Amino acid sequence: MQTDLNELRITPSQLEKVTGLEVTDILMGKVYRPTVFRSTKRFLSFLLTETLTLGLILIFCLPLSLVIGRGLGILTTSNTVPFLLTALGIAIALFAIWNGWTWQKGKGLKTLAHLLDEVDKHNEIIDAVHIIDELGAIQNSTIQVIDREEILKALSATRESLLNALMTEKVLRKHQQFMARRQELFANIETNLATLQTLQANQQANEYGQLLNEALQIGMSLRQELEKLDRQ
Amino acid sequence: MRHFATLISLLRDRKQFFDEIRRDYKTEKKIGSLLIASSVFLASYGAIIGASSGWLQMISSAIKLPALYLITLTICLPTLYFFDILFGSALSFGQYALLVLISVSVISVLLFSFAPITLFFLISVHDYNFFLLLNVAIFAFTGLMGIKFLYQAMQTIDRIEPAEAQPAVLEPAEIDTANDFLPVDALANREKTLTSSSNNQQTRKRLLQFWLVLYGLVGSQLGWTLRPFFGAPGEPFQLFRNIEGNFYSQVFRTLFTLLGWN
Repeated sequence: MQTDLNELRITPSQLEKVTGLEVTDILMGKVYRPTVFRSTKRFLSFLLTETLTLGLILIFCLPLSLVIGRGLGILTTSNTVPFLLTALGIAIALFAIWNGWTWQKGKGLKTLAHLLDEVDKHNEIIDAVHIIDELGAIQNSTIQVIDREEILKALSATRESLLNALMTEKVLRKHQQFMARRQELFANIETNLATLQTLQANQQANEYGQLLNEALQIGMSLRQELEKLDRQ
Repeated sequence: MRHFATLISLLRDRKQFFDEIRRDYKTEKKIGSLLIASSVFLASYGAIIGASSGWLQMISSAIKLPALYLITLTICLPTLYFFDILFGSALSFGQYALLVLISVSVISVLLFSFAPITLFFLISVHDYNFFLLLNVAIFAFTGLMGIKFLYQAMQTIDRIEPAEAQPAVLEPAEIDTANDFLPVDALANREKTLTSSSNNQQTRKRLLQFWLVLYGLVGSQLGWTLRPFFGAPGEPFQLFRNIEGNFYSQVFRTLFTLLGWN
């Protein structure tokens, strides 16, 4: 990937820095992202994580109850099965509590989840531009690079907006009260959105038109999210 | 899988991993990853040794083996943490948990690497006592390696800790000059602090050695309580056995039987 495009990508480490949480395809911190149910790959990853968590709880719960049960004289050869079923029930209850806790915590991260989806879309656009660049580089290709500068400018504005929005969300999440910087960040996003709208108006219908439109959609979506935050 | 990537980073670049522990960098994430990765490896090896006595024993051993290591760690960890902070360690409980998890992770990886050999003997040699002693030897060897790793980690971090407490590293010439301008009391105090720090370091080293013995004792007793891991040949599946004797006497008894002295 070309350096200019690569620089526009929002990397996991940058996300971690601006959100204060470790972000993966399925997790934001310890909370599952709502998008885990939208793609098979992510859903499988979610299932694997859940299985491993349940396995870990079983590894601690079953043998520990075996040791305690024998130590207290509750466990004998005649009541092994009911004892094991009780221990299994405790393990499943702990697993349910863990999931309930993460679900409860996830309720407070809805805005972040939405912003992270927009970041994914932004990175997907960069991938698309990269593919177009590669196809354009092939000799006798019919795909022509019409105005690369404009699309990079649009992506740069989107990137800045996304990072600003993520920072705002982090500030609001951490402090939950009015911060002076919020208005500044909000104004910045508004400016970037105006830039995107101008670019969109100037751009003729071509392979970049669609990408610019997607970038504009991300910008609009960000504004909506921030307006929601502003009302909170 | 990111969990296994954490374990690989520990094995590949120990120095950086230890440095990250010292800086308390992503400690919680590392604990989670090492817990999962080591549980998977230990469960796999447990399933192999249990496979010698049927599928029920296989499931039972796959749960019991990781539990043996992880519960032993949970039981012994507070002793190490509280005694160490008593003697001047500045590390947090999470950092200690990660340090001891390193040893379990190394043991799990080594056991997993022995899995093909164990599987080969399981299929080719139908001698219960031989299989038992072979595994005792493997467990002892991997355990020693894990302990060595933990010892190294603790020593490395302990060496860095007091160095960090000093404001800057001075060249010998600079030290002399610096000492010229220090009041006598300050010099004496600094020497006292250095001596005290070195004494604490020595105490923590001895404490770690004592803890490792304790860890071994708790582990072997818990293993004895949780047995059977292998399942006796020709006998029906047992989830647990009556607690009689201890781990060491049983190892000697098996050895004598194998050598035909019994």
